[in-house]
Amino acid sequence: MKIKLELFGASREFSNKDHLEFKIDEKIEIKDFRKELINYLEINFKGNKNFIKIVESSAFCSENNNIINDNYKITKDQKIGIIPPIGGG
Amino acid sequence: MLHTRIIDIKNDKISIAKAEKFISSSKFGASIFFTGTVRDVNENKKVTAITYDTHDVLVIKSFEDIYKETDEKLQIKDKAVFIEHTKGYLSLGDISILIAVACKHRDQAYVLSRYIIEEVKKRSPIWKKEHYEDQTTEWLKGKSIIDEKL
Repeated sequence: MKIKLELFGASREFSNKDHLEFKIDEKIEIKDFRKELINYLEINFKGNKNFIKIVESSAFCSENNNIINDNYKITKDQKIGIIPPIGGG
Repeated sequence: MLHTRIIDIKNDKISIAKAEKFISSSKFGASIFFTGTVRDVNENKKVTAITYDTHDVLVIKSFEDIYKETDEKLQIKDKAVFIEHTKGYLSLGDISILIAVACKHRDQAYVLSRYIIEEVKKRSPIWKKEHYEDQTTEWLKGKSIIDEKL
């Protein structure tokens, strides 16, 4: 299953593209997907602590643009977005 | 009556004249225009520009929610509200947000305008990356919305 993660705000530093792609074997809950993302950062950014902190404090939104909680299960190919702490205006 | 829009600075810019036209009505006796602009200093660092990033759909949704809840929370039902926010690279002095409101009376207009900007700051998925004089950049720390509904 393929999960496309759209990047916003500070998480845009995670890639040169505007998204990341993950291949996941089984259905996955957001709390476990968060771990996958941290694992990606451990490997590609030597565990950059600021980046990990961003992931830990970020919310996620579904393809339908609803904020989803840690128990939300991704069951098929899907595009989700990461919503780091906000503060614009 | 509500107008909302995210403006991509590459293609367009916020227009106060457009907002004035939208909220103008003889029904209303008070109008307020609030603009947020790019400031040259933040936390003792010299800022040269700000890049704004937005989750467009969620931002518009948050603007609509904020507008709707003012009916009950502020008891202001008769109103015109115009909210536009810019995304992209903004130079010093550029307008990042425009909130124009019109109500029957001035006390309502002041309360409504203030309420909207404070809620946008708390709830709308908008991010700022500051550009500094020494060529460095930094995403500003914001407020986590985990466990909050937009």
